[in-house]
Amino acid sequence: MTDHLLFADGLVKTYPDGDVHALNGVTLGVNAGEYVAITGPSGCGKSTLLNVLGALDRPDQGEVYFRGEAISKRKDLDHFRARQIGFIFQSFFLLPSLTARENVQVPMYEGPIASVRDRAKKADELLELVGMAKRANHRPTKLSVGERQRVAIARSLANNPSLLLADEPTGNLDSANAVQVMDLLTGFQRERNLALVIVTHSPEIAERADRIVKMKDGQVV
Amino acid sequence: MYFLSFILKNLTRRPIRTALTVLGLAVAVGSMISLMGISHNVEAAVAEGFDRRGVDIVVLQSGVVEQTSSEVEERLVDRVLRIPGVDPKGVDVALISMTVLRRGNSDLPAVTIGWPSSNFGFDDLMILSGRRVVEGDFRKVMLGATMAENLKKQVGDSIELQEKQFEIVGIFKSFSVFENGAIVMLLPESQEISSRQGKITGFSIRVNKSLEHPDADIEAVRERINALTDDTGRHLSAQTTKDYVKTASHVQLVKAMSWMVSVIAMVIGVISMLDTMIMSVLERTQEIGILRAVGWPRSRVVRMVLIEAVILSLAAAAIGSIGAIALTYVLTLFPKVNGFIESGIAPVVIAKGFAFTVVIGLIGAAYPAVRAALLLPTEAIRHD
Repeated sequence: MTDHLLFADGLVKTYPDGDVHALNGVTLGVNAGEYVAITGPSGCGKSTLLNVLGALDRPDQGEVYFRGEAISKRKDLDHFRARQIGFIFQSFFLLPSLTARENVQVPMYEGPIASVRDRAKKADELLELVGMAKRANHRPTKLSVGERQRVAIARSLANNPSLLLADEPTGNLDSANAVQVMDLLTGFQRERNLALVIVTHSPEIAERADRIVKMKDGQVV
Repeated sequence: MYFLSFILKNLTRRPIRTALTVLGLAVAVGSMISLMGISHNVEAAVAEGFDRRGVDIVVLQSGVVEQTSSEVEERLVDRVLRIPGVDPKGVDVALISMTVLRRGNSDLPAVTIGWPSSNFGFDDLMILSGRRVVEGDFRKVMLGATMAENLKKQVGDSIELQEKQFEIVGIFKSFSVFENGAIVMLLPESQEISSRQGKITGFSIRVNKSLEHPDADIEAVRERINALTDDTGRHLSAQTTKDYVKTASHVQLVKAMSWMVSVIAMVIGVISMLDTMIMSVLERTQEIGILRAVGWPRSRVVRMVLIEAVILSLAAAAIGSIGAIALTYVLTLFPKVNGFIESGIAPVVIAKGFAFTVVIGLIGAAYPAVRAALLLPTEAIRHD
């Protein structure tokens, strides 16, 4: 358990509106720098698992450990999420009133960079890395879906996390954009030794992973 | 990007709603500030009138808080003058009454002030034209500058009071807004037209005070006056000027109205802010979920909503204050009002208005802010 960056131990999650176990005793370890793809049919509990791993949701039973420490015992879960985890969503979830540069800065309010100027500089660097430097002043509505996801990737890296959690990151993209986005993600994962956990329906994306975790009916199979 | 910039972008994304919220709040706050300002000006004018004339005590009929309703035997003044500590040249006797003047086809309320020719109040009047009334004048009056302007009268013209014609012998300007809007005549004539011969409405007194204990000297005189009774056994009520200003019914009336409007403004403001911020939070549920997901703590979400409310409140207070200043100025253009109020709002009232509005904003935004903070990130993100 202590060897893993992230270790989920016997997670059980039942939603109050039904008897269905979204997670039914899931145990899973993720190492630093490892790329794990979680696959399975719709409703098998993939996204729920990702939310619990990312401290966005709490399990009914079981525990998630990050670097050996039980995250349920942490009192600073928001701080933990801000500093250690980068989220990437299928629908990008960029704030429409902000430019690409400003969107990337949103997590930085809770990050280590105190200076406004340094935060803007860091955002520009990240946008450069994802090939969006020239579009930094554009709002999401003026960007293509592929560009939006690249901005979302830059945002996920804002506070130099050690773990990236991506929920169907290419689900809304065409194949060319999907390849670009996955190249970016896996590139960062290798260069920065990030743990990357991706929920996907795509066999191509899953095949690129170091390890594939298949789920069915709330369990790892 | 500063946090404040982020908040401003939230507010400007729905400019019409933001503007309407600010406008609605500004109207409520502006009404409140204008009435608070008028109330403050009335109180300050009464207090300043006493301060500038060095008055220490105001004497009225006991049990009466409104000077025009008070009735005191003029003869009692001699007994007051015999009280040790009363400045013999510092007793300002007056008969103040309300009357109605015809102005074209409309009636104009007017205050008449009857003073003995030796009254020290005459010393403070700046004669703009003509002269002051003097001992021996018959059917002569002076008009305050505002009253002269309202009536369109000048020296040499006449006015009718209680079916008697009075010649205007002088136009004056006083530091007191009330005197500027009044008609001043000699006491006997004032007593005659109001059928109150031998009576006055009250008097103000200067006390010869020691440097060591001025308040005690005033109190001693006040107690002696309170012990006096007239022929019918009626007592006098002697109050320090501070207490008089606090209890004077016209000041209290304006204050009560201003508080009543303030409460209404507060209710309107809170409801308006609550409505706006609930809508705003509801529309941004998914965004708030994202903010929470990327690590924003609940406290930052609360701050975001509350600061948005404070910015809306400050904008409303600024617009409301400008509106209130304009309103009091416009009001003084109306003859029925301009002899009773001064235009302009004191800075302290504007400061209070700003503070009050921010409190309104914070109360109205408190529930939406907490509601936003309590959203679970996973549920908020799924919200559409």
